[in-house]
Amino acid sequence: MRYQLPFVTLASVAALIFALVGLPTVTMAQSVNDIISRGKLIVAIDTTTPPYGFLDEKLEPTGFDIDVAKKMGEALGVPVEFVTVTSPGRIPSLMTGQVDAVISIFSITPQRAIQVDYSNPYAGQSAVVIAPTGTQIASHEDLVGKKVGVTRGTAEDGILTAASEKLPGIEMLRFDDYSSLLQAMVSGQIDAMGGGDYGEIYLKKALGGDAFEQKYPLKTYYFGIGVAKDNHNLRQWINTWLLGMKSDGSLEDLSMQYRGQPLPALPVF
Amino acid sequence: MQNLQFGPVFAHSDAFIDGVISTLVLAALSIFFGTIIGLLGAIGRSYGPRILSAPIGAYVEIIRNTPLLIQLYFVFFTLPLVGIKLSSNWAAIVALSIHLGAYAIEIIRAGIDSIPQGQIEAAKSLGLRPYRIVRHVIVVPALKAVYPSLTAQFILQIMGTSIVGAIAAEELTAIANNLVMQTFRSFEIYIVIAVIYFVIVQSASLLFAGIGRLLFQWKA
Repeated sequence: MRYQLPFVTLASVAALIFALVGLPTVTMAQSVNDIISRGKLIVAIDTTTPPYGFLDEKLEPTGFDIDVAKKMGEALGVPVEFVTVTSPGRIPSLMTGQVDAVISIFSITPQRAIQVDYSNPYAGQSAVVIAPTGTQIASHEDLVGKKVGVTRGTAEDGILTAASEKLPGIEMLRFDDYSSLLQAMVSGQIDAMGGGDYGEIYLKKALGGDAFEQKYPLKTYYFGIGVAKDNHNLRQWINTWLLGMKSDGSLEDLSMQYRGQPLPALPVF
Repeated sequence: MQNLQFGPVFAHSDAFIDGVISTLVLAALSIFFGTIIGLLGAIGRSYGPRILSAPIGAYVEIIRNTPLLIQLYFVFFTLPLVGIKLSSNWAAIVALSIHLGAYAIEIIRAGIDSIPQGQIEAAKSLGLRPYRIVRHVIVVPALKAVYPSLTAQFILQIMGTSIVGAIAAEELTAIANNLVMQTFRSFEIYIVIAVIYFVIVQSASLLFAGIGRLLFQWKA
């Protein structure tokens, strides 16, 4: 007969795995007072989204979003603890109470607002068409006969793919990540690309010149600070704090530092 | 556990068919070119002069010690800088062929090495000309010996086509990823393409086994 592991062995291995992984603990939404008495602010960030969140030479998180989080901690008078999440992990991190706030290019959409609450926008970004300076491109029609690159699944992908279905002759190339897309643009494998309005400065860095420019905008997004659903206490404080950040120019300074251009006009809701 | 809904997935069955065709074309062309590289390279490496065998050896080592993804990036992103600009799909075929070629050289060379020296000397003493010796006494028995390893490499090649979406080539996995972003039905779509890959690879295994029987039916 085939040898089988005794049940006790299997059960203890299973118990060990559970003990190591740990069951996620669900905590209640934290009010501003709870955060201050706990002595730290826990913020979810993503370090793969330059220039908003990335790792510097010392592998420390840095970027626009990270600086916003640090300033929020300063205003509350507590240190900030960063929790790195991926883009799909942002909503669950709030719903399970692992973090107090999400500051990670969290575009405000009505679908997401069913599950979490948003502060007023603290930043915004336009998706734009980027192409070499010498190319004449002012609208979708000018893209006919050209190879247009996008990152798969982004809003630029959606908008430009819809355009390519109406205007045959736009050849779409979809890349898995933004760095491949930029590399394709630099090596001339594509004639134009859809990307964030900050993308241009990264192309310039790679080539060391003014070879690329923004052609026309596709859509503007607004980033809000996400908090747990119905945590009005924290959201109201964040909105009040953001008013100060906007009026004293701190947000504009951060935008110039990391994005190399001013923020779009930020609506209030 | 969310409810599985395959309806939105099967609504895009045209896209899946396009993906299957692209994957099969990529695999077939790269296996064809890769095998030719492997055959010529193995003969050159085993019996060629040093000026030929040394560069072939370098090629084999470079390709077998670097990831396929990096080779794809190199062909697509770096070659344009020296004036060789290939479209996504051609870059994928070139990189996949070069990749398979290196492995095929080593596999076929192992077969060639397994031919006893006495067999070649016997052929020489029978007065066979070099071409006939290489063909009948070395290559065909060598291929017969390594045919199972070679087809295993072909199977890996078919599955390897799934990463060429990284350079915007369109094949089954890339098209599936596009659909995931459109429909958000990731679970269902990945189940469907896993089944499709299984069918493709299993059919290919049977096909290769059948071809092997036809080609090598005689006894060595």
